[in-house]
Amino acid sequence: MPTTKKQKECYFCVNNLEVDYKDTRTLRKFVNFYMKILPGNRTGVCSWHQRKLATAIKRSRIMALLSPTHK
Amino acid sequence: MSKTKKAESTHYEILFILPNKFTDDEAKTLAGWVEKTLVENGATITATEYWGKKKLAYEIKHNAYGYYGLFEFDLEGKNLAKIDNSLRLSADVLRHQIVVKPKKSAEDLARAKVIRAKIDSKKAEAEKVKAEGEKKASATLKSKEKEKDTKKVDLKDLDEKLEGILNADDLI
Repeated sequence: MPTTKKQKECYFCVNNLEVDYKDTRTLRKFVNFYMKILPGNRTGVCSWHQRKLATAIKRSRIMALLSPTHK
Repeated sequence: MSKTKKAESTHYEILFILPNKFTDDEAKTLAGWVEKTLVENGATITATEYWGKKKLAYEIKHNAYGYYGLFEFDLEGKNLAKIDNSLRLSADVLRHQIVVKPKKSAEDLARAKVIRAKIDSKKAEAEKVKAEGEKKASATLKSKEKEKDTKKVDLKDLDEKLEGILNADDLI
């Protein structure tokens, strides 16, 4: 039986949020256990916000707010 | 381009980490020094934040902890390099990062507010619908249970009726 996949919504578009590199709590949602940036097709983030998200995560890594590895 | 055109300032945000060797008061005075260097280079500070001592996600120069400070400021782009340089050369600042922040006009803020209100109302509505659905579901469950009871009664009645018919003399 074919299952209908529920379309994911962009977290930032739906909640009208801006991507902030200081907000590690939200950024943590878009990183996996190994602290790697998750692809947009898995998290449902639109491509415009995914680009912002990637830079934000990298910025917070530089400022030691997010760890670059899981150790 | 005309010479008289006023150089437009950009909105920036700087986040810096001070090492753990300082006490909280010393770190605050150092944050004051950062502010001074910003102002000396022609920045107008619009917002300040001091996060205090925080654990770093990884050690920087054997510092597991650091004091975080943040300034938002308007500045002409050409002066940015000087600030960046002076902070980079100072031994007391572990790390700093200057980021361009989008300027927000009053219109933008108003628009954001309207969108925010719309989203909030939508969320509230969705919650209402959900609550009603749950209520309905529970109500239907209860009614179903009631129906079951009535059905049982009906079956009993039917049995009695059947027996009555079977016991009747003029069956055949």
